[in-house]
Amino acid sequence: MLIWSTAAPAVGAAFLASLVEVVEAFTIVLAVATLRGWRPAALGTGAALALLAGTVLLLGPLLNHIPLHALQLAIGILLLLMGMSWLRKACLRSAGVIPLHDEDAIFAAETAHLGGAVQRREARLDWIAGMTALKGVLLEGLEVVFIVIAVGAGGGLLLPASLGALLACVLVLLVGAIVHRPLSRVPENTLKFGVGVMLSAFGVFWIGEGFGLDWPGQDLALLVFAAIFLGAGLAGTAIARNPARNPVMEVAR
Amino acid sequence: MSLLKEVAAELIGMFFGDARLTIAILLLIAVAGALIELTGIDPLVGGIVLILGCPALLIASLRRDSRAIAPMSRSAA
Repeated sequence: MLIWSTAAPAVGAAFLASLVEVVEAFTIVLAVATLRGWRPAALGTGAALALLAGTVLLLGPLLNHIPLHALQLAIGILLLLMGMSWLRKACLRSAGVIPLHDEDAIFAAETAHLGGAVQRREARLDWIAGMTALKGVLLEGLEVVFIVIAVGAGGGLLLPASLGALLACVLVLLVGAIVHRPLSRVPENTLKFGVGVMLSAFGVFWIGEGFGLDWPGQDLALLVFAAIFLGAGLAGTAIARNPARNPVMEVAR
Repeated sequence: MSLLKEVAAELIGMFFGDARLTIAILLLIAVAGALIELTGIDPLVGGIVLILGCPALLIASLRRDSRAIAPMSRSAA
């Protein structure tokens, strides 16, 4: 029987990570639909979802043949690399070192890019639009698939993690259908920061389990790890925001 | 073919956003693994090295990145 106190971190991580990715994919699909109508957008999106489903159906059963500790170690390493990468970028964006992800700007750029491509190849309008939607959904969807497998497979939580991702998809589609514009008000960087914290915590947890380590407190150790990464992210953001106040860097300069 | 290349680039970018940070994390995992698997000390020591080492690497990476940004870019941001 599923214990939700155990499943909640996996569901939460899958939901939040999927929310970020689906918002990004939605922006591209909306740009395609605005310029060429919903038919090529829907066809491209459907083809991408079919490719993603095929990938999961093809690779999913293979996971059962990998020894659990090896699977936990491999997934843990990939999760930690991905989580730290997300966290680093979110900290740099939050500190103003690199620009924030702007869905409105991406929508405008994607529309302009697609418009230019369409003008150059009049005969293949819908094909270009459909391929743009396919590519956007496929690339963002790959990250969703990996995150769902990564946070779910190590602890037998694939179904709850999938539900978290599905919930994010439904939520974005519902809100998107209502507002019919890029979801630029979603606090994407804050979400990425939170997801980076959670993925990093999961990564360390699974690496330890993969090495055969019994973490004190079992699953509750995840909360401690998340708190440590949260503290590091906040401290790192403060340092990146104002390096002049960092005595080590003043010496270095 | 272009799509496959972009998928491959996306997959690589997912895990290897910053080469120096990635290498440092992999080295840290190797050290933690060696402590757990190869030495006779309490395996939890390896775990502690990992959970304290990763945040330290993150902060060091952020400090390095913020130093590398040009003053004009910072004021513009």
